Amino acid sequence: MAFSRHLMIILALVTGCILPSGVQALWPIPTTLETGMTTLKISPTFYFDVQIEGAPSDLHDAVTQSLYYLENDKLGRLVVGRGANDTTALANARTLSKLTLSLASGAAVEPISSEAVKPLGTRSEEYVLDIPADGSAATLTANSTLGLYRGLTTFNQLFYYYGGVTYTLLAPISIKDTPAYPFRGLGLDTSRNYYPVSDILRTLDAMSWVKINTFHWHITDSQSFPLEVAQYPELAINGAYSPQEVYTASDVQYIVQYAAARGIDVMMEIDTPGHTAIIAATYPEYVACSDASPWADFANEPPAGQLRFALPEVMNFTASLLTSVAKVLPSHYFSTGGDELNTNCYANDYLTEQQLNRTGMTLNSALDTFTQTTHGALIAQGKTPVVWEEMVLDWNITLSNETIVMIWISSADAAAVAGRGFRIIQAPSNYFYLDCGAGEWLGDDPTGNSWCDPFKTWSEAYTFDPLANLTEAQYELVLGGEQILWSEQSGPQNVDSIVWPRAASSAEIFWSGKQPTGAALNVTEALPRLHDVRYRMVQRGINAIPLQPHWCALRPDACDIYA
Amino acid sequence: MAPSRYVGILALVAGCLLPSGVRALWPIPHTLETGTTALTVSPFFYFDVQVEGAPLDLYEAVSQAQFYLANDKLGRLVVGRGANDTTALVGANTLSTLTLSLMSGATAEPIASEAVKPLGTRSEEYTLTIPADGSAATLVANSTLGLYRGLTTFNQLFYYYGGVTYTLLAPIAITDTPAYPFRGFALDTARNYYPVSDILRTLDAMSWVKINTFHWHITDSQSFPLEVAQYPELAINGAYSPQEVYTPSDVQYIVQYAGARGIDVLLEVDTPGHTSIIAATYPDYVACFDETPWSTYANEPPAGQLRFALPEVVNFTASLLADIASTVPSSYFSTGGDELNVPCYTNDYPTQLQLNSTNTTLNDALNTFTLATHGALIAEGKTPVVWEEMVLDWNITLSNETIVMVWISSEDALAVAERGFRLVQAPSNYFYLDCGAGAWLGDDPTGNSWCDPFKTWSESYTFDPLANLTEAQYELVLGGEQCLWSEQSGPENLDPIVWPRAASSAEIFWSAQQPTGAPLNVTEALPRLQDLRFRMVQRGLKPIPLQPYWCAIRPDACDLTA
Repeated sequence: MAFSRHLMIILALVTGCILPSGVQALWPIPTTLETGMTTLKISPTFYFDVQIEGAPSDLHDAVTQSLYYLENDKLGRLVVGRGANDTTALANARTLSKLTLSLASGAAVEPISSEAVKPLGTRSEEYVLDIPADGSAATLTANSTLGLYRGLTTFNQLFYYYGGVTYTLLAPISIKDTPAYPFRGLGLDTSRNYYPVSDILRTLDAMSWVKINTFHWHITDSQSFPLEVAQYPELAINGAYSPQEVYTASDVQYIVQYAAARGIDVMMEIDTPGHTAIIAATYPEYVACSDASPWADFANEPPAGQLRFALPEVMNFTASLLTSVAKVLPSHYFSTGGDELNTNCYANDYLTEQQLNRTGMTLNSALDTFTQTTHGALIAQGKTPVVWEEMVLDWNITLSNETIVMIWISSADAAAVAGRGFRIIQAPSNYFYLDCGAGEWLGDDPTGNSWCDPFKTWSEAYTFDPLANLTEAQYELVLGGEQILWSEQSGPQNVDSIVWPRAASSAEIFWSGKQPTGAALNVTEALPRLHDVRYRMVQRGINAIPLQPHWCALRPDACDIYA
Repeated sequence: MAPSRYVGILALVAGCLLPSGVRALWPIPHTLETGTTALTVSPFFYFDVQVEGAPLDLYEAVSQAQFYLANDKLGRLVVGRGANDTTALVGANTLSTLTLSLMSGATAEPIASEAVKPLGTRSEEYTLTIPADGSAATLVANSTLGLYRGLTTFNQLFYYYGGVTYTLLAPIAITDTPAYPFRGFALDTARNYYPVSDILRTLDAMSWVKINTFHWHITDSQSFPLEVAQYPELAINGAYSPQEVYTPSDVQYIVQYAGARGIDVLLEVDTPGHTSIIAATYPDYVACFDETPWSTYANEPPAGQLRFALPEVVNFTASLLADIASTVPSSYFSTGGDELNVPCYTNDYPTQLQLNSTNTTLNDALNTFTLATHGALIAEGKTPVVWEEMVLDWNITLSNETIVMVWISSEDALAVAERGFRLVQAPSNYFYLDCGAGAWLGDDPTGNSWCDPFKTWSESYTFDPLANLTEAQYELVLGGEQCLWSEQSGPENLDPIVWPRAASSAEIFWSAQQPTGAPLNVTEALPRLQDLRFRMVQRGLKPIPLQPYWCAIRPDACDLTA
């Protein structure tokens, strides 16, 4: 690869380079970073020079977006005075007039949206960004349009604004960057409460700013089925909260395209065979313990109801449903869920017990058959199945070796899944669940607490170690990770504030892995940079929570616990 | 008082069960009688203001009520959202008028004047009657403020489906009066700044649940966003930026906007602690300014407290507080007084010099300081309000009229009451809206919120304002409030962190009990709170969902043991 040739040269150059404390701007922090102390202004006539033959339209769109951010972020430096003290340095500063984008020789020119949905491990996200101090053209090179996209994101984080001038104090800047892990996600549950398409698009924008590359869309659950499926239209007609609270086929295509143009793969999840109560509104005979009470005997939350997976017609229906949904999506990955399956639901379910008795099967062997059927159908569509950890740890079923397993119950469970040889995605509730800490949402329980209390602050999430408890041989099984918003207590009203900037924590863990110096990621080093990304998000219209009083944001480390 | 004349109605409604369909009202009225007849609101519906010399803000309130009636468009929170109501609506009678009038002898003053009268002298009670036959509905009160409260209730009664605004519960007869005179919401605008528009939107939402006090914790150690005419440097040097300032005209606009919505603005300039940023203008007035480690000198960074022992600081503070207080109409002003840190003064040379030269203790100096600042406020006609430490931790002489806010723990109300002071219940263990968001200090990834866990609406709702008090002490409880401290809040999350949770205390202190006389109950309350929350969304607020929508349209289906 062309990239590796650059790597050795630049690594040699930057060895021993110390990260100046002034570089608060970048998130996630690049693999290598070299900065100077020269002031450089953006020319009023600055432009992006796309030196790519046959550049795809989504690259031109990305450049347009980048120019817009450059002109409109207008972010003051997070210091007392917000840059008022920089005016002297700016008086005689040189001016940067263009950034030249090019691909490494031999690189194919494909749309960003094609690059973004390639299989994990085959995507090229790395890039090299150089900004000379003398005002000559900055350069951004990569092996793919996706790499150029990542580089543009970095470029936009480098500049501040004061008194009509957009500038950096740190030229020359030399960055060489490549992700530590291929999978960096954000999970969103759109079933417990519905989010309009516009909220999802805004969230995708924010994800792209921190180089998150997977939107894990938990689109259906027991409470509602907001997905319009061409072959099964009744599921949404009867299962969506209202005709307005539906993701139509064209909505999904629009979201997928919007995501991919931002370097984001949409990994959809249709959780089965649990978390499916609302399917009973259309196919009552397919669902066991539908709305049974007390719900707590049959489900982790109301309403009860799970697919009668032992029945052949339910297997066929589910396989057909999942492939119908999956085949219209470009992603190579599709999650069939598999969490929190409640066995009590089936204990007194006549149809299930009759089928098991008739065939001499156990519930486990029926689940094995069901899973092989649904996964087989997805694999036939070219999809790699993704499941929650219980499918490996709680049940004895045969899964393809390619299956990706998501850790959620506890970070302690990763070792057991890795021990079974599966690739894993780290989504442990004890670090990464964004909904934790909001108290009980069930009625009639005023002293109840959040099941995963306390609230996971950005810094608690940031201390997650993706390789904890794993052997070195197992490290390669860790594809990456994601933070997740389950929506029992969330909706469009608080999606920004409950997700951002916290979801940036895992974005850096899995992009950067470590600091450019090679030191481990560190919450004290990170906080000023996270403030920076948070304030930039606010400038771009995201309602990200303040992490501290503004007084602290302007005075890095002054509000540390032992300061 | 006039409401006693209505007590006869109590006899009429005795034994009347609250139909389960009345999910609309929050806070629940004192008495409530409903029927089972559908009644639609006429497209020509109007408010007939039969009030001689009605003030301008009453007409504005009526216009607002008309707007909500036409634009709430809230579907009933049942499966189908009212689709099953269409049959009942077909031949329904139509309501064309709500007639507003004052009791004979009542004077027609502006709502904004009524709203800022001393606690205990405001008239918020009203009677609302909506006949089932389509004849005019009537709203009667002893003041324009009472009419305002009644309009708020009226707006909560109607749902919308298929172009029709209606109720299924006519006739409706409500007599309503607050259980407690003080029902507040507190906002800290110093840790992070909120634009005026965010405060106005919050005042609107407060008015919808009959909250009558905006406790504005406007300054603190981190910033001084209040422009004071006599001390302009405080904001010039102490605001986060020139844009993040409340100018005198901003304050007047907010006070007027609040007053027109039945809300008194209780300003707090916290002293002598929580004043670090004053050092940006008057460094000589502040001890332990920005000292490190900050945790030795303050509960949070930056350290810095007024040198209250110095005569010039006493005079400055008295003058500052009086200047601010003189520009606002409220009868109340809070001087704060929480979390005063003693080590800050231990090695403070000017303080120790003063104490030694006058042979006074720190406590005596604080007493002198407080007498001076409170005296200046009292001279302005203001009643001082303080946090509980001024009574429980220090031995100082306070006017008997002083109102004490309980915040550290609900356990502390009794001790304050035993000292004979009137109190406002703002206990952190029930009412602090910022709890549960984790540690915000840097370099503390395993730290937790000091008042963890998050206070859910239902935990707040179980607060008993009279717990541990003797019956003789009950009258000392003026009411209570939920508070948002803004270390981790700003305009970005104001709506979702406050609403609908702040409605919990609004009902506790307005209703205190169910119309049946039964105690407030979270299971009874939840469907009504859902209703309120969805109506808030219709009005453009961003309150959090309390549950999956599936639960909201199926009352009780998501109860713990359902």
